[in-house]
Amino acid sequence: MSRLYGYAGKILRIDLSRREVKYEELSKDLVKRYVGGRGFNVRRLYNEVPPGTDPLGPENKLMIATGPVAGTGFPLGTRVNVSAKSPLTGILGDSNAGGHFGSEMKYAGVDQIILEGESPKPVYIYITNKTVEFRDAEGIWGQRISKAYDQILREIRDHRAQIALVGPAAENGVLFGGVFFNMIRPAARTGMGTVMASKKVKAIVVRGEGFVEVAKPGEFKALVDEIEREVYTHEQYWPRRIMGTTRILLAGNKIGMLPGFHFTKGEVDFAFEVSGEIMAVKYNVRTRGCFSCVVPCSRVYVFKDSSGLSKVSEGLEYEALAGMTVRIGNRDLRKALEAVDLVNDLGMDVITTSEVISWAMELYQRGDLRDDELGGLKLEWGNMDSVLELIKQIAYKQGFGSILSEGVARAAEKLGRGKDIAFHVKKLEMIQADPRALKGYGLGFAVASRGADHLRSEPFIELSDDPELGRKMFGEPEATMRLGVRGKGKLVAYYENICALVDSLEVCKNLAENMNILDYEKTARLLTAITGLSFTIDEVRDIGERIINLERAYLVREGIRRKDDTLPKRFLKEPMPNGRSKGHIIELQQMLDEYYEVRGWDIKTGIPKESVLKRLGLDDVVQDLKRRGVELT
Amino acid sequence: MALHIGADPTRCAGCRYCELWCSYRHEGIFSPYFSRIKVVRNDALRIDFPLTCQHCEDAPCAKICPTNALYRDMNSGLVKLVDELCMGCGSCVIACPYGYLSLHPISSKPLICDLCGGSPECIKRCPTGALFLTYEVLSRDIEEDDPLGRDHAVAVAETKKIRKMWVARSE
Repeated sequence: MSRLYGYAGKILRIDLSRREVKYEELSKDLVKRYVGGRGFNVRRLYNEVPPGTDPLGPENKLMIATGPVAGTGFPLGTRVNVSAKSPLTGILGDSNAGGHFGSEMKYAGVDQIILEGESPKPVYIYITNKTVEFRDAEGIWGQRISKAYDQILREIRDHRAQIALVGPAAENGVLFGGVFFNMIRPAARTGMGTVMASKKVKAIVVRGEGFVEVAKPGEFKALVDEIEREVYTHEQYWPRRIMGTTRILLAGNKIGMLPGFHFTKGEVDFAFEVSGEIMAVKYNVRTRGCFSCVVPCSRVYVFKDSSGLSKVSEGLEYEALAGMTVRIGNRDLRKALEAVDLVNDLGMDVITTSEVISWAMELYQRGDLRDDELGGLKLEWGNMDSVLELIKQIAYKQGFGSILSEGVARAAEKLGRGKDIAFHVKKLEMIQADPRALKGYGLGFAVASRGADHLRSEPFIELSDDPELGRKMFGEPEATMRLGVRGKGKLVAYYENICALVDSLEVCKNLAENMNILDYEKTARLLTAITGLSFTIDEVRDIGERIINLERAYLVREGIRRKDDTLPKRFLKEPMPNGRSKGHIIELQQMLDEYYEVRGWDIKTGIPKESVLKRLGLDDVVQDLKRRGVELT
Repeated sequence: MALHIGADPTRCAGCRYCELWCSYRHEGIFSPYFSRIKVVRNDALRIDFPLTCQHCEDAPCAKICPTNALYRDMNSGLVKLVDELCMGCGSCVIACPYGYLSLHPISSKPLICDLCGGSPECIKRCPTGALFLTYEVLSRDIEEDDPLGRDHAVAVAETKKIRKMWVARSE
């Protein structure tokens, strides 16, 4: 048996109820079939978290995993996936984040951390190469992210330690609390922080002193040099360095894809005032990056908050920017920065927060919310005093905020109003893009394994509006045109496979997907150079598809079928009212048919066919589904 | 005065790419804990500061070294280490006025910058151009009781001016 290079080779299992810690060996078979990160997590979730598990009970398991690339000198290669059964959606919970945590895990000698059970009192966990400590967190329980971060750092007296934290919102049971790495890099979607807090874990601290060794240094270095050259000469390099994703806001306005005023306007007249360009000129002071990144796209910015105090903050991507400006009708960029800062500090998912607030605003505008229900809050578009107050109410489950704290689907259910405009898929709130203007994205939202989210497929290429590209890649010119319909099934399936692979490599999607630099051929070379195992292009291609099918099987087991792969009614029925996508609706059913066809899933039910699962080596899943009475075709 | 690596904290993005390729160049492995350049980061203060060996004129590390393993090389002006003489006592780590020196986690000998013999890997790899060669040395006027260590104190002192500037221009 040859040595397994690149990985730490260990899985750390922490039982919080019994305060027991166990290291397990990482198997080569798992590596060959799932690579790391998202693949490792979903495989274990399928095996160990059966249907009927209470997401906030001790039987749910929270997993944090990184991949083979983390800790090496490969550019943009240190991300982590946090997965568990989601309290927000009741299905697969999974969220990906950057920062410095993944590499530190490797240096501390673990590839995956599993939290099981439930601690009787608040703790934080301190992981080094030699020890795993359960430390008292009574003193930091309830504190905001920034305060808790500072305090832990002082307590452990070590600036090299990396910290994953949950905020007060997660502790209070808000269903969309995130796990925050390096303070502002959250794995925010699907309420993973809420699961961590339900186990009474405030933070996980990792501090290593080890190293990562690659199997074939010469080939590895040659590949890195090649990739560096491609990165530095790429057309997206400087825009990404200067603005990160915030540049999408102005570009998105031009094509009419913004979620303006809760998806009632695809184009708004104040996009420039709140754009990434203005942000760069007025507020940004410097760039920052994740570990081992050569396209540092995070920005440090300084602004004065309402009390006149100067604040140095960081991050702010397009989702947060658009969420706290165009989606809620706010024209004041400075106040948007303040709102995003508050949401992050309280530890919530800013996308979901922007949906519940803008949803309440639309209800208020059309007279479906009474003043006495709101306890004096005035929810006119862009009323930021109310928004800031409401954010706090949500995080502490007070007043009207307590209804919103369970996500928009449950809020509409509880209130008995506004179901028609609750914008979610499978209970996960929609991101800041109108699917009527980006039809591939729309299909992606409908079928994504965690609910309405773009990062499961990110068919960025449809923005090129280049029919030749579509003809070449998919034999369908419309596939790479944003308002096209035919070929979108192929497009989304293709990019879903890539995203699943990239999430398992734990490389940044900016490099692998958006800049389109890491293809299957390079991935095969990379994995071979790092691990020393042989990876063929075909094997690598299968990995993404295997993960997608396994995730689908997980959803099927939880009762998800084709009828759940849908979009909110507005996008299917009401034509886009303005902007460059005016008059469009999304032709979802046609695209779905094509998608299932490409996937080899049953067109009526959306269940993967037995032959597909078997081809991908998921025989155990076939047996499991059959045993549970799921009919496979 | 010796030519050494300097850093511009307004440019550094804190990616640690320099550390990774330093450890690879010298040890053939990847890890910040085996690097001869050290990026001090603090997410709460938003500090990223690459701390480098200043090859100080008075060289407190060489002065305290009980076996003369650390010495000033008259040719290059650098402080250098004779591997065979070092017994890994760590006195130099305590003596370093910047908290820069640390011990190799396996061999217990100090990790000291040798400028890669003339073409430093870190400068070549830095994606933001934050590293360069300079004669200018860092100030030793630092907060001695910083709970996060002397290296952190240096980073705080070096970035204080910049932070003031940022805050002054904020809207």
